[in-house]
Amino acid sequence: MSGDMSDLVARQAHHEVAEMDRRLAAPHARTLFERAAKTFRGTLVWYWFIGPPFLLILLFVAYPTFETFWDSFFAQSDGAGQQFVGLEQYRRLGASDVFWQVLGNTILLGAAYLLIAIPLATVLASLLNRVRRGATTLKVIYFLPQLTSSVAVAIMFNYIFQPDWGLLNGILRQLGIDDLPLWLADPRFGFTGSRAAVTLLAVWTGIGYFILIVLAGLQGIQADLYDAAAIDGANGLQTWWHITLPGLRPTFIFLIMTGLVDALARFGDLWTLGGPGGAPARSLQTIVMFMFQAGFESGDINLAAATAVVFFCLVLIVTLIAFRGLLAREFAAQRSGRA
Amino acid sequence: MANADIDLDDVRRRTGPRATVGESRFAQAVIVLLLTIGALAMIVPFVWMVATSLSRKANTAMPRVPRLFPTDPSLFNYQIAAANLPIIRYYLNSLLVVGLTTFGYLFFSALAGYAFAKGKFPGKAFFFIAFLSTLFIPFETRMIPLYLFMNTLGLTNTYAALVLPFLAGGFGTFLMRQNISTIPDELLEAARLDGAGEFRIFWQIVLPLCKPGLAALAIINVIWRWNDVLWPLLVTSNRDLYTVTQGLAIAGRSQGIYTGVALATAVMAIFPVILVYLILQRYIIRGIATSGMKT
Repeated sequence: MSGDMSDLVARQAHHEVAEMDRRLAAPHARTLFERAAKTFRGTLVWYWFIGPPFLLILLFVAYPTFETFWDSFFAQSDGAGQQFVGLEQYRRLGASDVFWQVLGNTILLGAAYLLIAIPLATVLASLLNRVRRGATTLKVIYFLPQLTSSVAVAIMFNYIFQPDWGLLNGILRQLGIDDLPLWLADPRFGFTGSRAAVTLLAVWTGIGYFILIVLAGLQGIQADLYDAAAIDGANGLQTWWHITLPGLRPTFIFLIMTGLVDALARFGDLWTLGGPGGAPARSLQTIVMFMFQAGFESGDINLAAATAVVFFCLVLIVTLIAFRGLLAREFAAQRSGRA
Repeated sequence: MANADIDLDDVRRRTGPRATVGESRFAQAVIVLLLTIGALAMIVPFVWMVATSLSRKANTAMPRVPRLFPTDPSLFNYQIAAANLPIIRYYLNSLLVVGLTTFGYLFFSALAGYAFAKGKFPGKAFFFIAFLSTLFIPFETRMIPLYLFMNTLGLTNTYAALVLPFLAGGFGTFLMRQNISTIPDELLEAARLDGAGEFRIFWQIVLPLCKPGLAALAIINVIWRWNDVLWPLLVTSNRDLYTVTQGLAIAGRSQGIYTGVALATAVMAIFPVILVYLILQRYIIRGIATSGMKT
């Protein structure tokens, strides 16, 4: 989506300048002022097109974003208004054990989710790609949880993970497993605790979207590569390993980027399961829940603003690294082309 | 997006990797079996939820062996859930909020998208970058000042607070700009020669021509807004304004001990959505696949 963004903008700017030159050089316009006025009048209508949405973005995106950065450098003083405190709010964040725990939690949950979801989706999509009949039905089924809001899924899984009679432990018991996990009731790290449970939940919810994107990525791999592999006598698995997986590289980068950004912003399902505190024992609290709690339960707007800035920076870093990853090959190609 | 009408499955069947690899019936059977197991894992939780929601006993004693069909089917839990929760009201709220934001978002995205695709005016690059840069600002970054702003305007606990912040955005503008760029200039020039103004061209030529793009954007926006719970939790504390997702989240946290009732509530909140999805699945799947975006 955004790979060619800067290129687009540059091309546009170039085009625009060329157009201006052409108009300014028009022979029938007399004075410089007349020429400028003429150029301007014809373009006026476009401001009616971008004006209203631009105003909305200014009011509801730009202004509050600026306000977030601004507030993070202040503290509420005893009298009215607030007082400039520099980086004090950030120092408070840094000194807060809860903040570091929440940050680690957010990243851990995101990483675990992607480590399971991306390989699983790749395998399922590769299989789906080979199905002769019923692929559409299967796709619809895998995508189903995406449509049923993370909140509804969370409520359902609250009962599925119930240790005594929940669906999951019920099935495990039927399979002869006696030492049944406590899932959401167990705040410890590990494969049977609350974090594992919500990771399972996230994979179950998100897998359909990942499959669709990988399927789209599979279409982008050139068919002649497969022909060449067939001529070389590669078997199915070799072809998949040496051609399909490397061909999916941009898809993987895209999924890691969007998946990490989504994971950093995770809120709805965990709020439904554990409240803003991410019960049990904050094991499910993410950075957005921390922000929510600081801003709206403790009324500490400025600490929440500093958290929001940290969150913004994290998202930006992930996005920029992913862009670099996406563009790295193009840069390399350009460089070798010039040399 | 121009080839949105091409059946991807069909193209793959003819040109994709599968065509180059001869496959035995046995291999097909194994693949279908594996995928069916996966599909069951997706469906069984839903079936279990519906079965449990239909069991009155589920509120007091759940069977230790999970049942996928109720032994004592009754609508008791649904009656209790409906009495506790103004679910119809929530649906109307959600429809209003999702409907208004989607119409607004499509309109303003197409409006700006047209100017950026076909217009020539000073400052175009600047404005385009300004619109695009909103893509890098997650909503969570600005939600607290946005809430305070709504408070200052006296808009908390109004529909306006749920709608206004989501009427325009960089993503929709960018998507529509890409769409409108594919419309040939000659078409627009012809209309201009006939004396049509830019707004008329936009309304009568551009909008009808980018229906597939608008549909994809509409689907994405509906999913976004329908699923949103964070912003409604912040700006509305009045029960009468709750959306379905918000009402469900709050109810889920309070009625947790009554398994049957809680699951009946969840079923009421998702069943209509699943129905709409099954009717429109073709378009939804295609919309997601072509734009690469979701929640």
